[in-house]
Amino acid sequence: MEKQSYMPVPPGVGMEENFLSLDDILLSHEKLPCTTETAFPRLGFLEKSSDARDIPEGVKMEMPLWLVKGLYEHKRRTLSVQLPKVYRQGWRTVFGADPTVVDLHKMGPYYYGLGSQLLHFDSPENTEIAQTVLQTFIGRFRRTMDSSQNAYNEDTSLLVERLDGLERALFQAGQSGLNDFQRWEKGHSSHLTASSLVLNYRKRKITEVQE
Amino acid sequence: MDPSEVEFLAEKEMVTIISNFSLDKMYLIGGDLGPFNPGLPVNVPLWLALNLKQRQKCRIVPPEWMDVEKLEEIREQERKEETFTPIPNPHYMELTKLLLNHASDNIPKADEIRTLVKDIWDTRVAKLRLSADSFISQLEAHAKLDNLTLMEINTTRTFLLDSLNSMYKLRASLQPQPAAKGHHY
Amino acid sequence: MFCEKGVELIKELHLLGDGQLSAFNEDGIRQVLDEMKALYEQNQSDVNEAKSEGKSELIPTIKFRHTCLLRNQRCVAAYLYDRLLRIRALRWEYGSVLPASIRFHMCAEELEWFNQYKKSLAMYMRSLGGEEGLDITQDMKPPKSLYIEVRCLKDHGEFEIDDGTIILLKKNSQHFLPRWKCEQLIRQGVLEHVIS
Repeated sequence: MEKQSYMPVPPGVGMEENFLSLDDILLSHEKLPCTTETAFPRLGFLEKSSDARDIPEGVKMEMPLWLVKGLYEHKRRTLSVQLPKVYRQGWRTVFGADPTVVDLHKMGPYYYGLGSQLLHFDSPENTEIAQTVLQTFIGRFRRTMDSSQNAYNEDTSLLVERLDGLERALFQAGQSGLNDFQRWEKGHSSHLTASSLVLNYRKRKITEVQE
Repeated sequence: MDPSEVEFLAEKEMVTIISNFSLDKMYLIGGDLGPFNPGLPVNVPLWLALNLKQRQKCRIVPPEWMDVEKLEEIREQERKEETFTPIPNPHYMELTKLLLNHASDNIPKADEIRTLVKDIWDTRVAKLRLSADSFISQLEAHAKLDNLTLMEINTTRTFLLDSLNSMYKLRASLQPQPAAKGHHY
Repeated sequence: MFCEKGVELIKELHLLGDGQLSAFNEDGIRQVLDEMKALYEQNQSDVNEAKSEGKSELIPTIKFRHTCLLRNQRCVAAYLYDRLLRIRALRWEYGSVLPASIRFHMCAEELEWFNQYKKSLAMYMRSLGGEEGLDITQDMKPPKSLYIEVRCLKDHGEFEIDDGTIILLKKNSQHFLPRWKCEQLIRQGVLEHVIS
């Protein structure tokens, strides 16, 4: 692969978000099961199941992470957050037994990101969640690394399929390091080539014409 | 870095050539070159050696370590040791590639040398991967990697740094947090 | 839920890998701004009511809307900023003149920004390396030789090289040219670098 001049804003990883990162904006769009602990007058239309004027106290609602983070207060409860299934005791045991068998893409694809973000809300299980998230990353690391280093010129889609977004980014970093080296080894490195951006634009123009 | 940039740096390594022309000493900002006398050995940077070789103006003397017996010894050492063994040249990979591609007629047993260097590289890269895994699984905050060459580091730099960074941030979440940051309006 | 449109803008960009640019989504931006205006006005009136009539029960709702305002702001800012990163990259991939098909995807302000960026870069390059300046967009890879062999992939018309010679770049013709003269045309896919 040709080096790109476009470098997107990287995600924050962990508890911090990067304000301008597209990845983090999509992560914070993930929905969390919540229960309101106060009423929200005049916002009843947001809740599909009723046509009341207000959102009353004690209603179960799915809310995106960004909204929960904005509304959540440590002192005065306006919301309580329930843990999504994958972070609860049952799944934590599964992850603890063998993290490599889990399809983190299907369970996520922001398993690590959302897991770290959950720690913002005072759950009594926070320590266990943080522990499981970290151990899962460590337990799967070897496989992520090995597949990114051995898969040159193979179809990598099967390998990548079960990786979480964070692992996918690492996989790609590993692949591009390896590919660059192998291109150099074969003597293709000093070959000047058309920009992949230019080529992709051209491809797109052709498909647009065909459509 | 792109590997071609690493190669560019390697081209500053000095090699010995035997030229077939004569030329007075040249004074350049990168250092003095020559004088060149037919049949007499002279040390020049690799980029010049390759250029002269391509124009059939010289014969390149292979570096001392580029020798089947010596490389076999290094390979055995590398396989035996758990850590990275010191390598005779910080640009062994680039030098091997450049010299074998452009001056293989000046290097005895070129094919064997190519295989040996590749074996050494593979052994070292496998070790590097093993260390990366142990950094991560043992939650290391810092680690020491001696005797690696620039090309070896370069191949894994982004991957290793991003991985360690991710591990570090996930580990940081384990520590109790100061009460909710970024929630003031 | 509020802010759905904002995330759509982000998804639209996120899908385009490789730093490609899609058409500036003026309509999407307008819808987000409209929603923000509505949220702001509702909040303004609820704030007044809460103050004058002591209705503190409105505070959670006000905070709710305020969070949505900030979210929309974040989505729009990230959308615009990420597009600028892509537009900046175009200067390095295509050179200072962009094909009409790409300019067509940019809004007036983005075109203006591109021109300003182009100018600052040019000014910076003129200030380097003495009288003549230094083109830092050239030799992105360490050059192996001053001249390279190239083949024309399409008709490109006449082309002047250093010594004033004019050559005709005709499809499938092959030339031996100064590397720095061809680099941009190779990136643009007009010429192909031939390795013997």
